[in-house]
Amino acid sequence: MVILRMILKELWHRKVNFLLAVLAVMTAVAFLVAFFTASKASERETARLMLKMGYNLRIVAKDADIGGYLIVGIPDKTMPESYLEKLAAQNSFSYNHLLATLEGKTKCRGLDVILTGLAPEVCAPGQAKGAMTVAVAPGTAYVGYQVAQTLSLHKGDTIELNGKTLKVERCLAESGELDDMRIQCSLRDAQEILELPGQITAIKAVDCLCFAQGDPVATLRKEIGAILPEAQVFQAKSVAEARTKQRQMVRNVFAVLLPFVIIACGVWIGVLAVTNVRDRRPEIGLLRALGYNTSSVMLLFLGKALLVGLVGAGVGYLVGTGLGLHFGPGVFEITAKAMLQPELSLFIRACILAPVFAMIASFVPTVIAVTYDPARTLTEE
Amino acid sequence: MLVLENLTKTYRMPAGEVRALDHVNLEIGQGEFVAVCGPSGSGKTTLLMMVAAMLRPSSGTVWFEDRAIYDMAGPVRARFRAKNIGFVFQMFHLVPYLNVLENVLLAAAVVHRPDGKVQARALLQRLGLEHRIGHRPSALSAGEKQRTAIARALLNRPKLILADEPTGNLDPDNTRCVLRHLQDFQKEGGTVIVATHGPAAREFATRTIQLRDGRLA
Repeated sequence: MVILRMILKELWHRKVNFLLAVLAVMTAVAFLVAFFTASKASERETARLMLKMGYNLRIVAKDADIGGYLIVGIPDKTMPESYLEKLAAQNSFSYNHLLATLEGKTKCRGLDVILTGLAPEVCAPGQAKGAMTVAVAPGTAYVGYQVAQTLSLHKGDTIELNGKTLKVERCLAESGELDDMRIQCSLRDAQEILELPGQITAIKAVDCLCFAQGDPVATLRKEIGAILPEAQVFQAKSVAEARTKQRQMVRNVFAVLLPFVIIACGVWIGVLAVTNVRDRRPEIGLLRALGYNTSSVMLLFLGKALLVGLVGAGVGYLVGTGLGLHFGPGVFEITAKAMLQPELSLFIRACILAPVFAMIASFVPTVIAVTYDPARTLTEE
Repeated sequence: MLVLENLTKTYRMPAGEVRALDHVNLEIGQGEFVAVCGPSGSGKTTLLMMVAAMLRPSSGTVWFEDRAIYDMAGPVRARFRAKNIGFVFQMFHLVPYLNVLENVLLAAAVVHRPDGKVQARALLQRLGLEHRIGHRPSALSAGEKQRTAIARALLNRPKLILADEPTGNLDPDNTRCVLRHLQDFQKEGGTVIVATHGPAAREFATRTIQLRDGRLA
């Protein structure tokens, strides 16, 4: 109680020393909070863009003609369905969503359509993310706009494809793309209709965009190549990828700056603590003469550092959040400002780490304080 | 009460060894007011710090009521010092951010005296500082600062008060006032050792010891 009272009174008495120390902690905390606030917003926006864009990775058979696929929208070769399980079972593959498809041309009431069979979507372990596609139940079909218009199909109608009857569950809205000529059904039904049991033409994936640096596609190719040597990968280039690269670049700059900021702030606090200890030599000597033990004297200085850390964490969080919200969109090229929001988890972390940081920076001066010889300090004029 | 046996203190300096105290033998009984006199550098402060259990002698023993104080472990010695010895310094050594009452109470925290606040107020009243209780040291005169330091020294009812040049920064009136308070403590059965190179303390002392070049003259 006496020590706490002394700490508070001393803080008030030496306000400039206290404020400068708080400023040091605040600088370090604000730097980190501003970066992570903007970085998390950038990640959220990238994730949103990815979801909006859909699957950006295609894994197809090794001998599939990619050029033909890009022109007609259907891979010309199939691969075993077991590839999906093989991929999903590997921890070394960085993905968020996997979807196996079988696509092929067929006729529906004399009309050329693209039949797309969809397997149940696989999410990465630990990912609590919702499915990106709606699962089509066996025996049912989702019919593309043009197909539905041309054949006058409505919900509840039945269609026959290569002898297999499917009930129209849904007629899809116009997309103006190849999807308007698709009929989507379950993978099992598609395999039966196309007479390709146990086969798929592609595995679509959303990558996790979690690579800190380098070329994500090259990394994914390496990962997938190790698991599925009989497959090939290509990526739909995206805005999201550009954002990832931007974020990686800022992260690299941050990684270079961070040690300097932390060391500079640590030295700053340390120098202030040394000054404080030197100013208080007679006080330390007096306390030792009065019988205060080493731990009491240490508590006096480390307790002060703890308070400096706590106040610095609070102010730093506010300043850092303000800076992140203000400058984040420019630095990370975030367009949706709604993605920027204060991160409460950063406040909690700051409140834990900043006092520890301040105490570590003040530790050597504290040790100096307890080693002062009271017989000498009390007799100095 | 206090026996200094063959006490020697040697400081190692870059220029060589300096002997601050040289085989000092001294006995001080309870209730004595001893003035340790001598010029600067004669070893007065070193002697006081050794008696205060704050400066280990190079050789020799300090006996305090038949206990060799430097045989005690550090924390035990610190508690022993807090209970038995009070200090008054030339530079007052008041904590600048605490008020008068809080400065006095600093001494009570170590020995956990529940009546510390009441006793501190009583002492401050006795020393004529009741109107200064809430003031910080920067607002006090030199005499008031030293009386605050005396109150702090007296709070734990020590058996011994060590005063190192307690009147060095005071005018003649305050000098007499401070020495009178120390004399009051002595008259109540306490022991006082004052290190001084001025003449004033001799008038109040029951015994005067002369130190020269670390030896009793």
